[in-house]
Amino acid sequence: MEECGDTNITLREFGCEQSLLSRPDGSSSFMQGDTSVLAGVYGPAEVKVSKEIYDRATLEVVIQPKVGLSSVRERLQEQSVRETCEAALLASLHPRSSLTLVLQLLHDDGSLLSCYLNAACMALMDAGLPMSCLFCGVTCAVNAEGQIITDPSAAQEKESRALMTFAVESTEHRVIMSSTRGSFSVHELQQCIAVSQKASEKIFQFYRDSVRRRYSKIL
Amino acid sequence: MYSCFKDKIGEVLLPGDEFSFETDETISLTDTVKAEKVVCGPGLRRNGDQVLVCKSGVLRHKQPNMFWIDSQQRRYVPAKGESVIGIVTAKSGDVFKVDVGGSEQATLSYLAFEGATKRNRPNVQVGDLVFCQFIIANKDMEPELVCIDSAGRANGMGVFGAGGFLFRVSLGLVRRLLAPRSDIISDLEKLLPCELVVGMNGRVWVKAGSVQQTLVVANLLESCENMTAPQRQALFRRVAQGAL
Amino acid sequence: MKDTPLSNCERDFLLKAIEEKKRVDGRQTYDYRNIKITFGTDYGCCFVDLGKTRVMAQVSCELVTPKENRPNEGIMFFNIELSPMASPAFELGRQSELLVKLNRQLERCLRNSKCIDTESLCVVSGEKVWQIRVDVHMLNHDGNLMDAASVAAITALCHFRRPDVGIQGDEVTLYSVEERDPIPLSIYHMPICVSFAFFQQGTYLLVDPCEREERVMDGLLMIAMNKHREICSIQSSGGIMLLKEQVLRCSKIASVKVSEITELITKALENDKKARKEGGRCGFAESMPRERITALKMDETPVEMTDVMERANDIVQRGEAPPQMVPSPVLPAPGMGQVGEGLQNTWGLEEEEEEDDDDEEEEEEEEEEKVTMMEEEPRGKEESRGGDVVVISDSEEEEVVILHPEMTQAAAKNAGSSSGQKGAATSKKKTKK
Repeated sequence: MEECGDTNITLREFGCEQSLLSRPDGSSSFMQGDTSVLAGVYGPAEVKVSKEIYDRATLEVVIQPKVGLSSVRERLQEQSVRETCEAALLASLHPRSSLTLVLQLLHDDGSLLSCYLNAACMALMDAGLPMSCLFCGVTCAVNAEGQIITDPSAAQEKESRALMTFAVESTEHRVIMSSTRGSFSVHELQQCIAVSQKASEKIFQFYRDSVRRRYSKIL
Repeated sequence: MYSCFKDKIGEVLLPGDEFSFETDETISLTDTVKAEKVVCGPGLRRNGDQVLVCKSGVLRHKQPNMFWIDSQQRRYVPAKGESVIGIVTAKSGDVFKVDVGGSEQATLSYLAFEGATKRNRPNVQVGDLVFCQFIIANKDMEPELVCIDSAGRANGMGVFGAGGFLFRVSLGLVRRLLAPRSDIISDLEKLLPCELVVGMNGRVWVKAGSVQQTLVVANLLESCENMTAPQRQALFRRVAQGAL
Repeated sequence: MKDTPLSNCERDFLLKAIEEKKRVDGRQTYDYRNIKITFGTDYGCCFVDLGKTRVMAQVSCELVTPKENRPNEGIMFFNIELSPMASPAFELGRQSELLVKLNRQLERCLRNSKCIDTESLCVVSGEKVWQIRVDVHMLNHDGNLMDAASVAAITALCHFRRPDVGIQGDEVTLYSVEERDPIPLSIYHMPICVSFAFFQQGTYLLVDPCEREERVMDGLLMIAMNKHREICSIQSSGGIMLLKEQVLRCSKIASVKVSEITELITKALENDKKARKEGGRCGFAESMPRERITALKMDETPVEMTDVMERANDIVQRGEAPPQMVPSPVLPAPGMGQVGEGLQNTWGLEEEEEEDDDDEEEEEEEEEEKVTMMEEEPRGKEESRGGDVVVISDSEEEEVVILHPEMTQAAAKNAGSSSGQKGAATSKKKTKK
């Protein structure tokens, strides 16, 4: 069995602020290193008849790039985020209503998709939407030497041979979404999943700490 | 059975947290087994043998066996029996359409006012505020409001008179305002006499002696959102001494 | 999504308060809300908070060919995005009246005022000029988006640095940030927009209206001005009649506000420059207020790795090894390859009892024949393959696709002739009838 050499398993410093916008029902900003994303959620709100689903809420995810209009890349990310959110949300509790999640890119310095996921989760939580579990995103890069780098920066992403982003749920740390690029072995994939699951614990602990801090004044 | 709940009262919980109940291994044959019941309020859901938390917030408990999650959300979801402040948006046929901040407009019948008959219709215009309660509110049906209680009395509900100001606060703050013997309300009473109507949907209507006083009350309540009791009292004291 | 309707009660109260010279947030008539200017990590990114209104501007540049009538001038492009994040009333990709109004005003404020030296953006006359693009994103709408947008846009333009270019003969080389320091734009002056809301047919006036005030106002006057008191654009909307004195008074107020805001912008730019020089970290992450209880930050954290490797190995070992055997490709005909065991239908056809039954069997035979016939008439075969596809698409409803020999599918793909698809379409119609 091949053994990985050194691994560079750290998460860059990360931060989050909830309820920072006055208009949306839930909002958050999430920073991982220099990568930062702003998220706003509206819902459960009125739904257009054409988008109405009779037994669950309609979730729409919109990703706004910084420059220009959203392209295929954003569409793909929107889809990944939407599918992850749908897996976590209990959408059947609010049938015939709309949930709108808007993600605004503020700065991209690698691990963007995972940052989108984390911001989305915090915003959904802030909006008080019913969820069966939390989720978080972890990005792993495998560089030319086979090293695994978690939460890579843009430069590290560029040098990497493979890039994987996993959405991990909080109850049993299972993977609910994966998005990969580049080539890698089955072994590397499993390693990255294991690393992501470990890293997700840190992020979930961070979620808990920040929510606890937020409610500290009304305990 | 509550033990697992009891440990966590007052703690901050997140979606995905679980309570599982392990029934006692030994069942005594002589005692009659008394089933323990737990009432799960907002934010808690039963999932097989477990109770699942689905909103982030503080676990609260009310005797004897009620548990719920107290969260600071902003969007209102209608619930039966709750009193809300609605804005009339349209008249259609024999109902008013009322915006309550939920996902759907609620209906309010012309006849659901005290003393209203087919001939004697209540004087309600589009844009008026109504204080009313839900008699139908569930996820699958159009919510319906009434301005009378079960005895046909207004009981404080109905159309708002002129004057006063409406503003929005979080649902968490509304619940704190409506709690019996709420400290915020009692602090406010000492500071300024005012009329206050609080709807469960996060809308608060206030009317004080003058425009200035009304604005002061509105701004004070809005700022109570993220303040501890000492901070709030300090602020109220400053207001009492200051600008007024 | 609809916005929350405004009740008569709020409308009456707001108007009454304005008559009494009171504002909802305790401001005086001519007061602006707090303005906070922060910068992003890269050049040309600026956030402006105007009370609760929040706006982001991002400047980017690109080398393009100039317009024919102005071969020596760079191009300025402004784009405002009313993100649905800012307000539930904003819809994605809809050209609303508000959007057009804001975009037009921003263009008049910044492009038509000639505050930016567009000639300095020319690289090769008539061939290559810089296009400067300003994207303004509305993040939270609490009134007076225009002023916030204009402050954000001009600050972002001042903050922006474009890469240096070198010209040798006909060749234009673009230097990266590491090779040569990027160059700031040359800006002559900074026009800033100031909005005035009028109430009661112009009797009362407020500076910097908030969202609820905007909803009850009768008219709006926007004056764009620079600190030299030069009016760059002026626009009145809402159809109110203003007197000459009112407009003059507004322009006087605007000149005071503009000089205040200009000072704030220069200070913010200086602070940022200093911070960047000292090599400190800057950007959105750094501007996060740490003292707020809704915010939390965590430093770089290592991830515990002790059992990760074992676990991964474990999973890989436990996981079923993929079959090493590679199915040998079958070549049913020249120019056609196939992998897998889909050559012959090994499944019984009991389920297909209905009308297809006969066809199915025929096809069965046909298929076998085809393999042999192939060489003789590939074209005819393709068509009949099309016929096969038809059956597959028909039976899709019964979800028996998998039961079919894979060959038909694979082969159909290979064939991929339009005639086959047409056949599929027509026969689908048939079955519908």
